[in-house]
Amino acid sequence: MPDFSLILPHVVFHTFALLITIVSICVVAARHPVKSAVFLVVDLFLLAGLYASLDSHFVAAIQILVYAGAIVVLFLFVIMLLNLQQEQLKGIKFTVVEAGALLITLIGFLVVIFNALAGKPTGLGDGSLDVAAIEGAGGNTQVVAMKLLTDFIWPFELASMLILMAIVAAIVIAKKDKKELPAA
Amino acid sequence: MVPIEFYFVLACVMFLIGLFGALFRRNLIMVLMSIELMLNAVNLVFVSAGRSIGNVDGQIMVLFVIVVAACEAAVGLAMVIAVFRKYGTVNTDILRLLRG
Repeated sequence: MPDFSLILPHVVFHTFALLITIVSICVVAARHPVKSAVFLVVDLFLLAGLYASLDSHFVAAIQILVYAGAIVVLFLFVIMLLNLQQEQLKGIKFTVVEAGALLITLIGFLVVIFNALAGKPTGLGDGSLDVAAIEGAGGNTQVVAMKLLTDFIWPFELASMLILMAIVAAIVIAKKDKKELPAA
Repeated sequence: MVPIEFYFVLACVMFLIGLFGALFRRNLIMVLMSIELMLNAVNLVFVSAGRSIGNVDGQIMVLFVIVVAACEAAVGLAMVIAVFRKYGTVNTDILRLLRG
């Protein structure tokens, strides 16, 4: 009788990895942007599952709330505003620069993958989060919150400034020019 | 425990798929969605590496990446709307004013 507690993480990871790869290809390859956005939601949920399996419950929740709940809905609203036609995928042309960029990235990642699978040291630990210590400090979410509001307080405040700037920028960019408005 | 290298490989595959979409799709919205895919690959590396070194800094970085991704999507989609209003298309083959 094999020990299922050892096998289960591998089963979960490989299942999710396969699904994420397939759904990511569907996101990129879907003809209509609406289908693409729906596949993106599925992809984000799968990633949230992977985060949860890495004991990152807060990130998993935020992934679903913010990414799948807010960002993709924003995409869907814009797609519906624009009333797009289906994109013709057949006659895809690409320039030398684009192909070169893809090729260089591919080579770089092949080096990374080769080094990783060859067992070269990654400079990281052995993959054993000190779960007991984090549980002792009140669980993952509480540890994240404590760090976020003490050590990372300045980036946290700057993030709020960034969001404010993004709101203003989005309104300014998307609003109609005055001269386009009908005369009142 | 799944080795961290597997997560890196998955993130590489996701990033490449996103890059392919960002380079070869001709719809500006599709380009933005592909960039979201690439950002998610980066998030996966942050979470798995943070777990591997045994602290939660990686998860905190992911929260900031999500903030930046939300801002990028908001501003990017506002620009898409502005471009569509001015030119009537979001096809990057037609919008070639900035292309060298």
